[in-house]
Amino acid sequence: MNQISKQQQLPEIKEVPSRFRNTIGKFTIKRSAACISCGLCAELCPYGVHLRYENYSKPMRPVEHKCIGFECRQNEYYCIDRCPQKALTLRLNPVLETLGDFRWPAEMLLAHWEMAETGHLPVVDLEYNLGNSGGGFDKIRFKLPDSEKYLDVSDEAMDLSLDLNKRRDGRPERRLSLPCYSGGMSYGSMALTALTGRARAAQKLNTLTCTGEGGYPEEFIPYADYVITQVATGLFGVREQTIQYAPVIEFKYAQGAKPGLGGHLLGDKVTPEVAAMRETVVGSSLFSPFPFHSVYSVEDHKKHVDWVKAVNPRGLVSVKVSTPTDVDMVAVGSYYAGAHIIHIDGSYGGTGAAPDIAKKNIAMPIEYAIPKVHQFLKEEGIREEVCFIASGGIRNAMDVAKAIALGADGVVIGTAELVALECVRCGNCESGRGCARGIATTDHELGRMISESYAEQRIVNMYMAWRKQWCEILRQFGMQSIRELVGRSDLLVHLDYLDETQRAQYQPVPRHRMII
Amino acid sequence: MQSIKDALINRILNSRAGLADGNFRHKKSAEEGGCGVTGFIASIPVRGRHIYEPSVQMHNRGNGKGGGIAAVGLSADSLGVTQQVLDSHYMLQLALLDPLARPEVERANIEPFLDVHKAQKIPSVDDYRDVEGLEVKPPDVWRYFARVKKDVLGRFIEEHGLQAMDPARAEDEFIFQNSYRINQKFYASLGEQQAFVLSHGRNMMILKLVGYAEKVVDYYLLDEFKAHGWIAHQRYPTKGRVWHPGGAHPFSGMDEALVHNGDFANYHAVCEYLKQHNIHPQFLTDTEVSVLLLDLLGRTFEYPMEYIIEAMAPTTEHDFDQLPPEKQHIYRYIQSSHIHASPDGPWFFIIARNNPYDKFFQLIGITDTSMLRPQVFALQEGAVQIGLVCSEKQAIDATLQSLADEDDRFCPVADKYWNARGGSATDGGSFMFTVKDAGKGDGSKELICTNKFGQVVRTPPGQQHFRPSEGVAVSEKSEEISRLLEKGMDDTEPADLKQSCREFLTAWDYVSLGQFCDELIIRAAKSDARRTRAIDLLTHLNDRLIPTGTKKRSAVLQMIRQSLATIFASSPKMNENGHSQYRYIDWSDRDTLRPPREGECICVLNAKDFPPEGDTCDARLICDAYEKGWKQFICYGYKGQRFTGCGLSTDTDDVRIDVYDSSGDYLASGIDGLEIHVHGNAQDQLGQIIKRGKLVIYGDVGQTFMYGAKGGDVYVMGNAAGRPLINAVGRPRVVINGTCLDYLAESFMAGDPLNGGGFVVLNGIEFDTEGKVIAQANPYPGSNLFSLASGGAIYLRDPHKQVVEEQLNGGEFVDLTPADWDLILPYLEENQNLFGISIENDLLQVDGEKRDYASVYRKVQAARLDVLAKASTAVEEWGEEWQE
Repeated sequence: MNQISKQQQLPEIKEVPSRFRNTIGKFTIKRSAACISCGLCAELCPYGVHLRYENYSKPMRPVEHKCIGFECRQNEYYCIDRCPQKALTLRLNPVLETLGDFRWPAEMLLAHWEMAETGHLPVVDLEYNLGNSGGGFDKIRFKLPDSEKYLDVSDEAMDLSLDLNKRRDGRPERRLSLPCYSGGMSYGSMALTALTGRARAAQKLNTLTCTGEGGYPEEFIPYADYVITQVATGLFGVREQTIQYAPVIEFKYAQGAKPGLGGHLLGDKVTPEVAAMRETVVGSSLFSPFPFHSVYSVEDHKKHVDWVKAVNPRGLVSVKVSTPTDVDMVAVGSYYAGAHIIHIDGSYGGTGAAPDIAKKNIAMPIEYAIPKVHQFLKEEGIREEVCFIASGGIRNAMDVAKAIALGADGVVIGTAELVALECVRCGNCESGRGCARGIATTDHELGRMISESYAEQRIVNMYMAWRKQWCEILRQFGMQSIRELVGRSDLLVHLDYLDETQRAQYQPVPRHRMII
Repeated sequence: MQSIKDALINRILNSRAGLADGNFRHKKSAEEGGCGVTGFIASIPVRGRHIYEPSVQMHNRGNGKGGGIAAVGLSADSLGVTQQVLDSHYMLQLALLDPLARPEVERANIEPFLDVHKAQKIPSVDDYRDVEGLEVKPPDVWRYFARVKKDVLGRFIEEHGLQAMDPARAEDEFIFQNSYRINQKFYASLGEQQAFVLSHGRNMMILKLVGYAEKVVDYYLLDEFKAHGWIAHQRYPTKGRVWHPGGAHPFSGMDEALVHNGDFANYHAVCEYLKQHNIHPQFLTDTEVSVLLLDLLGRTFEYPMEYIIEAMAPTTEHDFDQLPPEKQHIYRYIQSSHIHASPDGPWFFIIARNNPYDKFFQLIGITDTSMLRPQVFALQEGAVQIGLVCSEKQAIDATLQSLADEDDRFCPVADKYWNARGGSATDGGSFMFTVKDAGKGDGSKELICTNKFGQVVRTPPGQQHFRPSEGVAVSEKSEEISRLLEKGMDDTEPADLKQSCREFLTAWDYVSLGQFCDELIIRAAKSDARRTRAIDLLTHLNDRLIPTGTKKRSAVLQMIRQSLATIFASSPKMNENGHSQYRYIDWSDRDTLRPPREGECICVLNAKDFPPEGDTCDARLICDAYEKGWKQFICYGYKGQRFTGCGLSTDTDDVRIDVYDSSGDYLASGIDGLEIHVHGNAQDQLGQIIKRGKLVIYGDVGQTFMYGAKGGDVYVMGNAAGRPLINAVGRPRVVINGTCLDYLAESFMAGDPLNGGGFVVLNGIEFDTEGKVIAQANPYPGSNLFSLASGGAIYLRDPHKQVVEEQLNGGEFVDLTPADWDLILPYLEENQNLFGISIENDLLQVDGEKRDYASVYRKVQAARLDVLAKASTAVEEWGEEWQE
């Protein structure tokens, strides 16, 4: 399996509806008592907002998240106007004002839920490419493409693959079908079904997922060829065997969300199962040290890399570091120490468990770090020898494309996968039973809210939708392979560096003033 | 009084005010954490070739992009000057990156100020490409033996008001400033660097290049060059294209050379401090900053070395409390003045220096307070004396081997190996080897080893090294030996044979011992049974600390190990015929590896020529052999090869590996079932994430032992260095007979030891020269024991209750219960079997009387800490289950 696989068959898209009866949509539709159950709305709506049992005349509660809203007015099937009793009213959903945050606004969440449900880009008019953070990827845009360059090829003919081993050092060459894989989330941080679902999705998509620092549950073994074993500073659950299972071993030195801190799992989440997996004491918080106690310098690091290479002679080595100001030197040092993958993790990422003070204030933003490292690797003449991965606040397909254009070969995705599982980003991940959606929990009952197949297919769907978007971006710039996009920062603009007239071409997020 | 001194210091500092003329880069030029450092100093001058081998041993600690060496106590003959000139003149060594820049440097900074006694381009290989591995041409180096012109010096003193200063020291200051100006003009302020000063001290020199350190010896033809002290540094800069060695180590202040392994977290803070004293770094590395700091404290402030060390690696925590009041008093002042400029983070310095005023040469090793870098010290005292400091022990052994090959007054094994305990009240984290005139009137020199506090470190007195060159006599005990072995090899109970050999070992002279070894080798070749017995016997004599009478233990060990190696090597090779359960393999015939045939069971691996890591390393060969069906291994000839025992994965209960010689880092890391015996001292990062199995170390073990361990039964005969068992979980069960430097079992999470969890027994004992077990001065001198632990326990042999609450950070002392004793007793019994440390006669004996276990051992267990377990609703909810 470790050989470069032929262009893999794309996985099947299957619709996976929400786990919750009342979904959240951009719009809300109310049906008043005036309804006479004529069923016209159900006949009219092509989006499936109004459903009706065959043998029961009254339509059910509208499936609001499928409604395309006011833009439907022009259609002859616009239910609000056509209702003979004027029993239907349409409004913007006020919940949107309380949902999400500046980085992940409500519409971006909604759009990802829709992608995960359908496997297609949203039908509803939702802004899923940009947030309102006033910086970062939200201020970076692709230049308006030259329409003459448009390359008219099908999605199937597009190459979105990512090579992990470019060192030609005799270790296996591994090609992923997507320019991204999923980030480490530990057994203990998440419901096991969600974790296993991620692994299953990785297999379907021919990409990878990562154990995080919490041990290697048996449930992963069938998908072992798609699971990265993370070796982090606490070494929890890392055994020789789990290093040998993995096609890629990831050293996590630091996380961009909390550089200078090790991982931490608060006492509440350390249930008997979690403690057993990590062989620790139940109920006692687990703080991983920072840094590795056996690694205080680059030659220690090389020794560390040599060690896992000796334990697993077929494994590739990824080194994950955060983004201090000298991240470029760190990256080069990692390369010389023998890493196949250099993974830099910038500041925007992190779930609710990372302390805010660290999450929001420490590491260098990833959009600065990527070109810095890319450039430095080029100057050193080793850019083509190493797979350069970025992560940290890369939210959607557009961000992925931007990160690649800035210089990364690929990215690591964490939060978006949780959003695909209907995470609402409430930020209570650290508390064992705080997750209202049953994702970041070790609670038995809450954990049952998610099934493996649900998680698997939702994640597959989301990536398939992203794939469509990447293909379109590539076509616009006349490219047939995502590799052509790497380092093309000339295709990007940063709004802060444009004059007024130029900037006007790049519209801000709807309903928000452009912050300059 | 004080004000005169103060005023003088201010004048010196003021005189440097004009040195820096703007144009400073402030960013560190390259991140470099890591490096390999090695150094030695001997009572006699030795050739440069002996720094070669240890440097090669450290290749994997550098990346070949910067290396350097320094030498002190040089030979006047090889330099072509008289001893008088060598002693009195500055040796200005100028590296010319651009050979054409020399006339300009001389015109601007040498001719106007210095009387040059002799100027020469130092000899080098004609074409650098003839030196294998050199990719960048090393700089041309010009050497000037010079003094400052009288009138120039007079003006300098006049101008800066330094009349109160010893003129010789004012001359030092002038030389320092002059070199600074050269560097500023021709190096630091330019886009294109042209030249810089490598060193300018008396009777010492520094050379460096882009490449591995030992290439300096090759390129500058130092093979035959003699000096008392040598240090070398392998650099690991992370900037790829290095075209000149300006940033390589060593760096010099005045009469010293300093190499450094580590990385400062507070580089900028230290720079700021220096700038406040008109010192602006020019080469932008931690190392330069370190040596400038050292120079400031030593030469300008005139601190004694003890205070300089205190200013750099402050004594803290429990150790500070242990200091005598007068020391506390002065250390408090030093710390409050200097803590903000004391290098923070991992660092280890080796300094070689000449003190022309007090007339001695010195080699110093200093570790940071937290001991975050590897360091080993060693001492050998015999007809000649030598002190060594290295990052890894195998570099020490390589040095000694190289020396012994040339001069049999050196023995390939040191008399003593040890680690320094950083910032401690016991040794201060620093040892210095001082070479000075022996006072015999014949110009001969002697070497004395002292720690930070000036306490002398000695080897046992009254013992002689073995001198093979002194001719071979026939032993008087010839017949006795033959009788002993005749019977012993076949009939005697092995235990009885060992007993008699132990006694003989003490009594015999070298000749008898040599004959014993020779006969044993011959007999071992006769049958497998005898071979096994001979190996067992010699291994026993190697492992146990048997008194050696008037013989040096190091020399005895050397003979025993050589005999073992001979017996190992005489096993039939894989592709040879002959029936034996032993099969030998080494680097040259590694391809002959095959599955064991009927009756074969032991794979003898000579690791000598294997690379220390990588796909062809010996650790991988063991994995291959295991896959082919070999279960027992004897591995020897190690020179720091790493990862032994790694990669065999689970269910390896029937595998046993016996490791001899200088084994390497990460040994036994991750093992899951197998058994490894290390017959000698072990290195760093042993047993990382070890899951299950047995690990026995007949000696000391290095840093970060059993980090993140999950289990395993582990026995250590000697001490562990810093940070053993950090973050260990599960059920590791460990007996350490010595003590640890510090941070034992931090964040230990190994459940409830009485219920299947893990523990450490710390005995705090050592062996005296008579081979008797005695208590160490303190069973645990470190300031941090069991910090932030949430599970497991430490069983501490501490009959005098020397360990106090202040050393615990989260743990608590409790009395031993019978259940505790029942738990540890089997482990102490196994400890007794392995190391001969008797429970009844050694461990439970206190001051000559036998006590019961409860008054000898103390238990440290985890106290419930708020920081780890906040009052949690979970506890209520999970109820009893949580306590399982």
